[in-house]
Amino acid sequence: MHLDAGHRIWTDPWFLTGASLLGLLFCLAVFGPVLTPWDPYDTSFIPLDPPSARHWLGINDGGMDIFAELMSGLRNTLVFGLTAAFAGLVLGSVTGLFAAWKGGWVDQILMRLADIVLAIPSVMILILLAAFFQPQPWVLALTLAALTWPTTARGIRAQAMTLKNRLHIQAARHMGGSSRYIIFRHLMPELFPLYLINFAAKLRMAVFMEASLAFLGLFDPSLKSLGLMISYALKYYYMDIWVHWLMPPVLLLSFLIMGTTFVTISLERVFDPRLKTAL
Amino acid sequence: MHFSARQTWLTPVLAYVAAALILAFLSHSLPRMLPGDFVTAMYGASDVTLTPEQAAGLRAQYQDDSGFTAFLGRIFCLDWGYSHAFLAPVSALFFDALPWTLVLMVTAHLLSSILGFVLGVEAAWRRGTRMEKAGVGIMTVLEGIPELCSGVLLLLVFALNLGWFPAAGAQTAYADHTFVQQVADRLHHLALPLITLVLAYFPGNFLLARAGMVMVMKSPFVLTARAKGLPPLRVRYAHAARNALLPLVTRLGLRFAFMITGALVVETLFSYPGLGTLLFNAIAMRDLPLIQGIVLAASIMVLGINLALEFVYILLDPRVAHAS
Repeated sequence: MHLDAGHRIWTDPWFLTGASLLGLLFCLAVFGPVLTPWDPYDTSFIPLDPPSARHWLGINDGGMDIFAELMSGLRNTLVFGLTAAFAGLVLGSVTGLFAAWKGGWVDQILMRLADIVLAIPSVMILILLAAFFQPQPWVLALTLAALTWPTTARGIRAQAMTLKNRLHIQAARHMGGSSRYIIFRHLMPELFPLYLINFAAKLRMAVFMEASLAFLGLFDPSLKSLGLMISYALKYYYMDIWVHWLMPPVLLLSFLIMGTTFVTISLERVFDPRLKTAL
Repeated sequence: MHFSARQTWLTPVLAYVAAALILAFLSHSLPRMLPGDFVTAMYGASDVTLTPEQAAGLRAQYQDDSGFTAFLGRIFCLDWGYSHAFLAPVSALFFDALPWTLVLMVTAHLLSSILGFVLGVEAAWRRGTRMEKAGVGIMTVLEGIPELCSGVLLLLVFALNLGWFPAAGAQTAYADHTFVQQVADRLHHLALPLITLVLAYFPGNFLLARAGMVMVMKSPFVLTARAKGLPPLRVRYAHAARNALLPLVTRLGLRFAFMITGALVVETLFSYPGLGTLLFNAIAMRDLPLIQGIVLAASIMVLGINLALEFVYILLDPRVAHAS
């Protein structure tokens, strides 16, 4: 069944489009500094200079190279997204697996805790933290992860509960397999598609959050970010420099969110047994 | 584990009360963890020299030294502190901005839910046709464009280049309008932020409604309804679509927190005088009491709405109440 799904995912045009978009953006983020000789924090250029062969996207109002800024912003946005998504996924999966395996009151307590955390609007906590303490982005990313694990935990727990009662797991148990052995050899690998779906969904949400919060001015203004670039460029909307200053971050952010959306939707369609009939 | 009907409503209520208490506690304790106080922050680096009486007076005016229980009491009495950037009570500022946000959010949610639901159901009904495939494709692409980007594009094209819609505000200031003109003027200002939000919310609703409806249409009772010779519209809406509503309501609760982030961005982008813009200004001016007040009050409203959604869900799906 997994083999078949693995084949189906690679022939799904949505997945291929999304994955190539993401791949391209990842490459840009990784190799960005190699593509441009300029430092994004160097303010020694002529402010508001139009695009030229030396400065592909021109210069912003502070005398910084916009292309270098863009690469640095993309990288910061992606690092935030990946940190939050990975931490949230690990936290959620471990909690979900643990709750499903232990059952009983451990399960009850963890799932009630999940209900409570799920009810808290995560944006609000992030705004409070960012406004009061102005922490480093990774602190905010981990906070976001600490507030969004319950969705993953619920999904993983539900799936692990059904798996737990399947014949091959029962057999492994009766043959004397330890909890650790069964969790690591059987439960965790068999939930693999769920990790992918959750990771993609969380990455999308975290990137969206980072861009929005940076746009609202809640991130360290000295760090480049796509949201912050949009907010700065918007102040000069009445000049034609919006073509090379405002549009690039808007397009990159759209492609980033679009790529993760396509991947999430297509993974859900292929792997989610409940949605399988919906395609 | 046996769930009685009482527990189905008690569990969410307890979870939401706990969440509200945690939020209140955080917004009470976080500001107290900051070093210094109001007087050092505002006058520490200025040339103004305050007499001890003046400093004490300022502290009494702007600072809040109450304990957590007193703080909870003050939340209920709408005594949320004093904004030093706007020189007004936080609650007054909040309730001035709230109606604008409510108009924007409620209209956006109503429009995108109804549109998304009806079009999603119709798309599922016409499954496999070229129209439906194109519709799903367009909606998937739209789902991938965040409010921040679609809002900037709409602002550039329709407000700044074409000039069809105003770029900022919620009404023309100091205009001598009749009632009808005033309503038209406000709708004119509402159009762009509303379209941005609908574009952001509607594709998700469409895709969910369609997926739900496709699954419902496989169930035997739809076949029965059709076999009885009921008119297609009746089969579609009276029988099938009601069941496709359920996933829509559950997912709405989950997506709500992110919708708020989007609404904050859209209000700021179009300088719409709602809570989002107020919060943005508070952040820009580092007006901590105002940030704290808006965040807490808005969170409690979100919690209330989500809790109400849980009950709507129980009402819509009696199986939840009788689940064992």
